[in-house]
Amino acid sequence: MIVELGHYALVLTFALTLIQSTVPLWGAVREDDRLMAIAPPVSIAMFFLVLISFAALTIAYVTSDFSVVNVWENSHSAKPMLFKITGVWGNHEGSLLLWVLILVFFGALVAYFGSNMPSPLRAATLAVQGWVTAGFVLFMLATSNPFNRIPSAPIEGNDLNPILQDIGLAIHPPLLYVGYVGFSITFSFAVAALILGRIDAAWARWVRPWTLLAWAFLTLGIAMGSYWAYYELGWGGWWFWDPVENASFMPWLAGTALLHSAIVMEKRDALKVWTVLLAIFTFSLSLLGTFLVRSGVLTSVHAFATDPARGVFILVLLCLFIGGSLSLYAWRAPLLKQGGLFSPISREGALVLNNLFLSAATAAVLVGTLYPLALDAITGEKISVGEPFFNLTFGPLMVPLLMAIPFGPVLAWKRGDLLAAAERLYAGFGIAILAVLFTFWLWGMERVLAPIGVGLGVWVMAGAICEIWTRVKPREVGLKRAFERLKGLPGAAWGTATAHFGVGVTVLGIVTASAFQDEYVQTMKPGDTVNLSGYAVTFDGVAPRRGANFIEDVGHFTVRQSGVVIAEMEPSKRLYTARQFPTTEAGIHTVGFSQIYLSMGEGRPNGAIDVRVYFKPLVTLIWIGCVIMAIGAVFSMADRRLRVGAPKPSAKRSPQPSATPAE
Amino acid sequence: MILWILIAAMTAAAALSILVPLAHTRAEEPAEDVQTADEAVYRQQLEEVERDLDRGLIDPAAAEAARTEIARRLLAAHERGQNGRKSAESKSSLRTAQVIAVAVLPMFALGLYLFLGAPGMPDQPLSARMTAPAEDQSVDVLVARVEKHLAENPEDGQGWVVVAPVYMQLGKPEQAAQAYANAIRLLGRRDDWEANLGEALTVANDGIVNVAAREAFERAIALEPEAIKPRFFLALALGQEGKTEAAIAAWQDLLEGADPREAWVASAVSSLERLGGTVPEMGDGLRGPDQEQMAAASQMMPEDRQQMIEGMVAGLDARLKSDGGSADEWAQLMRAQVVLGNEDAAREAFELAQAAFEGDEEALASINDAAREFGIIKSN
Repeated sequence: MIVELGHYALVLTFALTLIQSTVPLWGAVREDDRLMAIAPPVSIAMFFLVLISFAALTIAYVTSDFSVVNVWENSHSAKPMLFKITGVWGNHEGSLLLWVLILVFFGALVAYFGSNMPSPLRAATLAVQGWVTAGFVLFMLATSNPFNRIPSAPIEGNDLNPILQDIGLAIHPPLLYVGYVGFSITFSFAVAALILGRIDAAWARWVRPWTLLAWAFLTLGIAMGSYWAYYELGWGGWWFWDPVENASFMPWLAGTALLHSAIVMEKRDALKVWTVLLAIFTFSLSLLGTFLVRSGVLTSVHAFATDPARGVFILVLLCLFIGGSLSLYAWRAPLLKQGGLFSPISREGALVLNNLFLSAATAAVLVGTLYPLALDAITGEKISVGEPFFNLTFGPLMVPLLMAIPFGPVLAWKRGDLLAAAERLYAGFGIAILAVLFTFWLWGMERVLAPIGVGLGVWVMAGAICEIWTRVKPREVGLKRAFERLKGLPGAAWGTATAHFGVGVTVLGIVTASAFQDEYVQTMKPGDTVNLSGYAVTFDGVAPRRGANFIEDVGHFTVRQSGVVIAEMEPSKRLYTARQFPTTEAGIHTVGFSQIYLSMGEGRPNGAIDVRVYFKPLVTLIWIGCVIMAIGAVFSMADRRLRVGAPKPSAKRSPQPSATPAE
Repeated sequence: MILWILIAAMTAAAALSILVPLAHTRAEEPAEDVQTADEAVYRQQLEEVERDLDRGLIDPAAAEAARTEIARRLLAAHERGQNGRKSAESKSSLRTAQVIAVAVLPMFALGLYLFLGAPGMPDQPLSARMTAPAEDQSVDVLVARVEKHLAENPEDGQGWVVVAPVYMQLGKPEQAAQAYANAIRLLGRRDDWEANLGEALTVANDGIVNVAAREAFERAIALEPEAIKPRFFLALALGQEGKTEAAIAAWQDLLEGADPREAWVASAVSSLERLGGTVPEMGDGLRGPDQEQMAAASQMMPEDRQQMIEGMVAGLDARLKSDGGSADEWAQLMRAQVVLGNEDAAREAFELAQAAFEGDEEALASINDAAREFGIIKSN
C-alpha cells in the first residue's frame, strides 16, 4: 500500500505540474490575480506529494520490498542500513526522484519566501519551474518509473554496485543535485522575466542568493567527487577531465560567472540581459550534464544507467528547454531595459572581465567534452580529449583570471582607479614574490613555471587578505576601532574575501601537488624500501582478509622518517563477491597538508607486488580550498541586506587616502 | 480500502490547493502592484543606507552617493508606476480553473495511476514475505525461508531433511548432497538418507558413481540389505568401473523377481542388456507405465521425463526383440518410437512384427492399421 501511495503521489504531482505550468502563467499574462494566486499553494502541495513519494521509495528500500523492481535491482537484504538508504538515489530511477524532490523543494521555497515579490513575477517563475518539473516527472513515469512492481517478489535483490557502496559517493549525488537544481530557480526567474518582458528590482535581489546556494553545493559536490576518485580509483589523480566530471564542472564555471554578473545587476542595475542569458546557459549546462550522465552516452564509472530510449527522451527534453529558452531570449531580450553605465576600469569592468574569461573557459571545456562524442557519432572514430587539450585551452584562460582576481574587489563601482587599487595590493604582491623566491630556493631552478604557479596561488590568497585589510584600515582608525569595523563588515565582503582566498588555496594545492609530486612505480618484494621526499616506505607483505561482502588482499607498509616509524599503511585490492567486482582501496597517510599515497597493482608469484607510491605535497589544499569557497558563499548568502552599489564620490572632492601596506 | 481513502485525501488536498486561492477575493489595497513592489524595494534600500550610516559602516560621502543612486532608481520606478495596471479578472477563466481543479485533476491523476500502477498489490517487505502462510508461496520463497532458518540454526537436522529433496527437485544436487550429509551428521544414519546422499552425489557428478557416493550406498546397504536404490547404483557403479561380470550379477540379482512396473526396472534392464547379460524372470504385471509412473513422469523435469520414457521404450524394445510379444505390444513400441522421433527404429519394429506374425492375418491387419495410423507406411 505504501509503495502504491507513493506511486499515486507521483502521478498526482504530474497532474499538478500541468496545471502549475499553465494556469498561473495565463494569469500573469492576463493580469488575473486569482489565477496567479494558485502558484504558491500548488508548489507547496507538489513538494509534499513528492516527499511522500520519496519516503515511500525509501521505506521500500529499508524493508527490502523486492516487489518493487527498482529495489530488487539495486538492493540486497543483507546490505548495511546506511547503504540501503543511500541506495535509494544510487541508481537511475531513484536519483531522478531525488532530482525532482529538490526541484519541487526549491519551488516551495520560492513560494514560501516570495511573498514580497511582485505577483506576476512569482507566478511566472513558479510556472516555469512547473515546466521543468513536468518534464522530469513525465520522463520518470514514461521511461524510468521507480514504482514498477513484480507480482511475485524475488527473494533476494541484485545488490548495489560495490563501487557506489562508499560513504563518499553516498553524499556526492545529493550535493551535486542541489547544485544543479538550484540553478533551475535562476533559470525560471530568467525565463519568467523574458515572458513578462520586464526585470523587476526584486528579480535582481533574488538571483544572487539562489545562485550562491546552488554554487556552494555544486562546489562541495565536485570536490567530494574529486576526492572520491582520488582515493577509490587508485591512480593517484584527483581530476581526469572525464566527461562526467566536465558535466558538473561546466555549470560550475557558468554559475561562477552568473554569480558575479548577478552582483553587478543587483548593485548597479546593469548587465541585466547578460545575466538572463547566463542564467539560461547555466541551467542548460546542468541539463546537459544530466543528459550526459543519465542517457548513458558516455561509458564511464558514473554511467550506471544505460538505456537508449531514456537517452532519446532526455535529449528531447534538453532540446525543448534549451532551444525554447534561447528562442524566447532571442525574441524577448530586446524588450529588457539595459541599466547603469560604467567605465571599463571599475568594479563592473572587473566583473565583466571575469565573465569573459569564465565563459571562454566554459566553452573550452564544452568543446573538449562534446567534440569526442560528436566525432564518435559522425565518423565512429573514438578519440579521447584529455589533459593536454585542457592544459592548452583551459590553463591559459585561468592565469590572467587569477591575476585579476585581487583587483576586482578593491576597485570602486562605476569608475575605478587602477593605480589606487594597485597601491592597496602592494603587500599582497610582495608576499607573492616572496613565495616564488622561497619555492625556487626549496625546489631549485629546474621547474620555472611551478614557482610562478605557487606565486599565483599566494597572490590570490594575499589579495583576499589585503581587501579585508583595506576595508578595515587598522593603521588609520586604531586597533580597537578596527576590530569593530572588522565585525561590522557586511557578509558579502567576508564572502568575497573568503571565497577568493579559497580559490588561492586550491590553486596552491593544484600547483604543488602536480609539479612537486614524488612518484615511484615499481615492483617491490617484501622487505624492499623506497625513499621519497624524505620518507622511507617499506613493504612488509600481503595478506588476504575477508570483509562483510568482499574479500581483499591487504598490503602492509611501514613509513619511516629518519628511522622513526611514523605510520603504517594498508592499501588493498578488493573483490566484491556478489558481483565479482574488483576495486582498489588506496592507502593514504596525511602529513600536515601533504599526503603519502599508496596503491597496489598486480601481485607477482614470488610475493612481490606492483606498487605506486606517491608523495603529494599540499594535495589536501585542493579540497580544503573548495570547502573554503563554499563557506564564502554561505557568508555572502547570510548577507540579507539590501545592497546597492554607488560610485565612490569623485576623487577631486575627497582625495583617496593612500593605504600604504603595513609590511 | 485504506489506500483509496488516502488517495482520495491526497487528491482532495491537491484540489484544495487550487480552489482555495481561487476563492479568495481580490486584495483590497493594490499595494501588491508590480511597480509599487519595485518602489518598496528601493525604499527599503534607502532605510538600509541610513542604518549603515548610523552604525558607522559607511562614511557620509558614500551614503550620499548611495542615496543619490537609489533615488534615481526610485524615481524611474515611480514613473513606470504611473501607468499602473488593474487586475483583469475574467469569470470564464476562473470557472475553467475551478473545473480543472474539481474534475479534470482527479480524473486525470486517477486514470493515469490506474494505467501505470498496481493498486491491488500489497507491499511485500522481506519480513512479510518470510512469515506469510506457506501455501501462498512459491517453492523459491519456501526454500529461502528454510535456508534463512538453517543459516540461523545450522544444527536443526530436521530442516536439512526437509530441504534436501527440494534441492534435488530444483536441480541442485550439490546442495542436496550437503543437506543429506548434514542431516546424517546431526540425526544419525538412515538407509534412505544415505542412499539419497549417494544419488545426489552421483547426479552432481554427471551420473558417474564416485568413491564418496559408493561409500554412501554401501553404508545404506549395511543398514538395509534389501534396499533397491543403493543396490541399483552399486550395480551401475560396477558397470562403470568395467567389472562386467560382477555388474551383470548385481543387475540380475536386483531384477530377480522385481515388479516390472517399478520405474527403475526398465533402465536396469537396458543397462543389463547393454552389458550382454540376460534378463532374469521378473514378477508379473502389466507391461507399460502404470498410474504411479505416469504421475511420476508428469512431475519430472522435462529432461528427466524424456530420459525415463526413453528408458522404458528401450526396455520394451529389448523385451519384444528377445521374447516376442502380442500384436498390441508391438504397436505400442511403434507408437513410442514414432513419438520419440526414431523413424528408423519404428520401421524396424514394424518389419520385425510383420515377421513375427507371419500367417496370422488378424494380427498382421492390426499391425498394418497401427503402422498406417502412425505414418510408418503410406495409407493407400
